[in-house]
Parts: sequence; structure tokens; C-alpha cells
Amino acid sequence: MIARKPSWLLSLVAIAILVYMNAPTIVVVLASFSDTSYLTVPPQGWTLHWFEYVLGDSRYMRAIWTSLWLASGATFLSLILGTAASYALHHCLVPFRDLILSAVMAPLVFPAVVIGVALLQYVSLLGLRGQPFVLLLAHTLITLPYVVRSAMSSLTGINPQIEEAANVLGASGFTAFRLVTLPLLKPGLVAGAIFSFVTSLDNVPVTIFLLTPRQSTLPVKIFASVEHGVDPSIAAASTLLVAGTAVALILAQKWVSFSRFF
Amino acid sequence: MTRSRSAGVGLIGPASVLILAGFLAPTVIMAMLSLRDYSGMHGIGTDWTLSNYIDVLGDWFYMEIVLRTLALGLVVTVLCLVVGFPLALFILRVGPRMQTVAILLVIFPLLCNIVVRSFGWMVLLSPRGVINDALLNIGLISEPLDLMYNLTGVIIGLVQIYLPFMVLLLVPALQNIPADVEAAALTLRSSRARVFFTITVPLASPGIITGSILVFVLSISALVTPRMLGGPTYRVMATQIYDEFMTNLNWPSGAALAFVLTFIALALIWAANRVAAHLTRGISA
Repeated sequence: MIARKPSWLLSLVAIAILVYMNAPTIVVVLASFSDTSYLTVPPQGWTLHWFEYVLGDSRYMRAIWTSLWLASGATFLSLILGTAASYALHHCLVPFRDLILSAVMAPLVFPAVVIGVALLQYVSLLGLRGQPFVLLLAHTLITLPYVVRSAMSSLTGINPQIEEAANVLGASGFTAFRLVTLPLLKPGLVAGAIFSFVTSLDNVPVTIFLLTPRQSTLPVKIFASVEHGVDPSIAAASTLLVAGTAVALILAQKWVSFSRFF
Repeated sequence: MTRSRSAGVGLIGPASVLILAGFLAPTVIMAMLSLRDYSGMHGIGTDWTLSNYIDVLGDWFYMEIVLRTLALGLVVTVLCLVVGFPLALFILRVGPRMQTVAILLVIFPLLCNIVVRSFGWMVLLSPRGVINDALLNIGLISEPLDLMYNLTGVIIGLVQIYLPFMVLLLVPALQNIPADVEAAALTLRSSRARVFFTITVPLASPGIITGSILVFVLSISALVTPRMLGGPTYRVMATQIYDEFMTNLNWPSGAALAFVLTFIALALIWAANRVAAHLTRGISA
């Protein structure tokens, strides 16, 4: 691509597109501070009342906790299962390598709603609907590909002779991995973990089929609330979710540069 | 060798069990479910039948949903390309500081919840929403525009939601084009537009194809945005699958529809990989 300064027309168009891309989030955040009982932007009067309402509502709080433990648990499990699997796949320690890799990545290419209904009928058949561990495993399943993808691409960049050198110097397989390979993998794993946390935190199309009417996650609660009419409390709940994402993004930038996303 | 084999199996084991028991088994069982007969009176029967698939592909009610979903996916993909290209060019041409800001502004919505963004569009597009209010206030319109609970709303929302993927794939595709090739064409007195369409676009085609397929597949599978911005009566495949399972309780029919959607998605991804691999070979050769 020839390096050239953008023309003013291109800059104008690009800025308009960036505004379009961020407008809905900005509007939701603004609306959540409005001192009115209906949604309005720009907000009329500023208040934290709607945040108080959400944080004081037991159903919202339960949904927030469910979302948080689910995202943390699924990310933790995905990191362990995904790193182990990637290591084995990368070093060709297993038969049917390509087949296994495609199977692990499959939840990424299958339409999420299809995974959701497949799990719904399966879990109902087994009589496990509503069990928390079912939700945890389902979220691990959909976050695993992100960890595997980052771990595999990081492993490709690591010189295998470094770990061999550690072995020669007397480190056992796991020690060599822990002291040599793992630190080199860290940026990739952090990126994978952030993606997996955000994916789990955001998921609706799989989660919604696995919840009983008494259970909820934050995005599912927001999705369900909208059907009964909108008010600023939904905006406040949404703002909390956006804030959580922003924190994850800032943490991510501390550890890995954004060039990793390309 | 045997030691590393057993270590390999130990490492891959837990992930494989999860995939087998949590993904492959449910998919196979749903495939069987999609072949069961169903009646409103007796529920899911025990006879094997292809009628669920015949209904989806032969009944106009379902066919219309399938066609509407595919048309929606096509429109969203084309719009993402048209809107994404200038933004990708801008990102490649601005200085480093502005570039970081622009990339952040592309990634931030990607990481924001789809429910939140769709809700944001409801606030913007509803009859008493931000856009209609502004247009009414400045007197451009006298009646609120129907921007939501129809195709317009779903398209506006889906393009915004999937645009980051397109931009993030277009940027590296354009970046990897050797400057010499374009420079050579310009030296040979090709117009900028001609260079763009005969050199830049073809050389970026692997990225364009990957981005388009990704956006298309995501759009035809979308559940949340069509439900929130299209309303309960605007049916696409994903919302119909949801309704068959959760409202109509006709699981065999929902399962058949789910497999039709999956087949379309996987076939497209497979075809696109073939085409992209072919193009990449052609370019590097």
C-alpha cells in the first residue's frame, strides 16, 4: 500500500464512520445518567439513581454475579484446557492432529444459536437443565477456541530449541515448560484470556437456552427486560457491562499491544 | 516416543472430552431429533421422517424466512465492505497517534455487548428516539420515521455490529500490498481510480473474501439484533429457531432449521477457504 496522507474527504468520512460505530454505546451510557423516568439523550439532569436501583435490585445483582463467576470460571478452564491442548497439538504429540484441531475450533464456526439449541435438547435429555456446571462447561466450550487460537499462534513463534536446551540442562518436561515456554506464551495467553472473558460475559445466544426462568446473566437480563419496555435502569445495567469491558480492554493494553489484534 | 504419546493424550484429553461430550454428542443427537416426526397433539414421535427438512425447504412460510435471512446477510455484507473500505484506508494513512485512537474506536464497539449496542440503537431509532427527535426539532420531518421494528433497523444495527470484523481484516489485507506495484501502475500513468480497482482491490481480495464471509455468516446467524431491532414479528432463521424451541416447542422443526443454517454457514466458509487459498497461491506465484 502506498503511504500517503488521507485526504480531508477521506478523514471526514472515516470520522463519521467511527461516530456511527460508537454512537449506540455512547447513547446508552449517557441515558443511564438521566434524571427522568424515561430514556432521553442528552440526559436531563444528572443522577446516579439508576445505578443505585440496579445495584440494589436482587435480580440484577444475581445476574451480575452469575455473569462474573461464569466468565471467570470459563476463562480459567479454557486457559488450562486450551494451553494443554495447544501444546500437544503444536508439538504433534497426538494422532489425528488436524481433525482434533478442527473439532476444538468448531464452536467458533457453528452458528451460536445452533450450539444453544443443541445443548438445550441434550441437557434436557440428560435432566441437567439449570445446573450451574452445565453453564460453566457450555461457556468453556465457546471460549476454548479463542485461547487455542492465541496459544497456537504464540507457540509457532517460540524456538523449540530453547525448551530442549532446558531439558538438556536437567529440567523435567513440566519444569521446562513452566520456566521457559510459559513466560514466552504469556502475551498470547493474556490476549486469549481477555477475548474469552469478554466472549463469555457477552454471550446471549447459547446462554439463553440453558437458563431456567429463575436464572439470568446480565446480558440475558437486559435482553429480556427490553421486551417489557425500556427505562433508564436498563441503560444503567448496560453501562455497568460497558464499564466492565472497558476495564478488560485497558488491562489488555497494559499487557499486550494492540498490534496483536491484527 | 511412547512417553510423549501418552503425555500428548493426557494434555489433549480434557479438551477432547469437553468437545466430544459437550459439542459433538449434542450435535449428533440434534441431527436425530431433526429426523423425528412431530404433531401438535402428541409432541415428538418415534418415527423417522424427512418431513421437517421438506417443510423448511418446501413450505413458503419457512422458505421466505430462509430467503429473507440470506438477503439480509448479503445487504449487510455489501454495506460493511462499502463502509469498511474508507475506514481501513484512513487507518493506514493517518499518523501513528491518530492510528491508535482509530483502532481503539474500532475495537471498543467490538468488545461492547451486542445486547447493549442493539439497545443503544433502540434508543436512537425508536419513534420517540434521539434521531427522530432531532429531525422533528429541526423541522426536516413532520412525522417520525419508521426506523425500527423493520428491515431498516436490523440493517443499521447489524452493519454497526459486524463492521469492526471487516475493518480489522481489511487493514492487514491492504497493508500487505507491496507499494511498488501500485507505484509502478501510477508511473505508467494509470489513474488513481484505475489503480484502486485493477490493482489494490484484487490484491486485497483474500482479506476481502475472508471479511465478507465472516460478516455474512455472522449476520445470517444473528439472534439478538434481529429480535431487538426487528421486533417479535420480524422473522429470520435464528429468531425462528428460537421460537420453534422456546415458544412453539416444535423441536424437530427447529432442529431441521438449525441444520439448514449450519449447512449454509459451513458450506460458505469451506468455499471461501478454497477460493482464498487459490487466490493467495495466485498472488504469491
